[in-house]
Amino acid sequence: MSIELLLALITGAALFGVGIYGALSQTNLVMIMMGIELILAGAMVNLVAFWRYLHPDNPAGQMFVLIIMTVMAIEMAVGFGVAIARFRAKGSVEMEEAAELKG
Amino acid sequence: MTAQMFFIGFFGLAGVWFGIVVFRTFSMVRSALALLFSQTALGAMFLSMQAEFLGVLQIMMMATEMSIMAIFMVMFMMDPGGLGEMDMTHQKRLSLGAGIVSFMAAVAVAVFVDWGPLASVSPDAAQQTIDLGLELLGRSMLIFETAGITILTAMIAATAVAIQPVKRTREQ
Repeated sequence: MSIELLLALITGAALFGVGIYGALSQTNLVMIMMGIELILAGAMVNLVAFWRYLHPDNPAGQMFVLIIMTVMAIEMAVGFGVAIARFRAKGSVEMEEAAELKG
Repeated sequence: MTAQMFFIGFFGLAGVWFGIVVFRTFSMVRSALALLFSQTALGAMFLSMQAEFLGVLQIMMMATEMSIMAIFMVMFMMDPGGLGEMDMTHQKRLSLGAGIVSFMAAVAVAVFVDWGPLASVSPDAAQQTIDLGLELLGRSMLIFETAGITILTAMIAATAVAIQPVKRTREQ
């Protein structure tokens, strides 16, 4: 196995782990979104590494990275929309104060 | 050790380090900037992996995205400068455990799976962009168009959610 591929996959795994920690431990909506961004960044690093070291002749790997970037942009747009609505309604985006959203 | 290996390791480490800094600092502006540096380091890592188009796209897109995020952080946080050193975390032990377990599981998959034969060369930057363009406008066109429509829907939905409701009287 190539060291470059291993380095990239370990980077992706570390970003995924840090993102999971952030998304679960933070109480602020914007900080939770930052954790999700890191999780998606980890997935993106893996996809680029797989494309480069396993199938560089197939551009579909790069296309998947564009889809992940799209998901990141959508997450930001919808997340900030929800944050603005929440802030307007309750004056805070602290998720510990959003117990009424529990199903 | 090749130059490519060094740069992948260096930028990967920088990306992970700045990712950790995001959740270690009390200042929300620093958090947003740390995330910007983390994503930029990943863009540089993509460039090291000879994915020129994606590397440049990542750096440009994340610079914009994180700048917007920094503005929102200042708007919405109770203590954006972090001077009060407020602890805004909960269930720390569970989160740390989940993070470590997911990291270890992903590393185990990376190490123990046989990934098959590795490619040593990749197409040059111009050829990559041509191939990607043909892929997006050929076989993957439906997926790409769906992504575009989804972004448009998300933009409309986000605006509709965020817009201030106007109370209308009967005369209006």
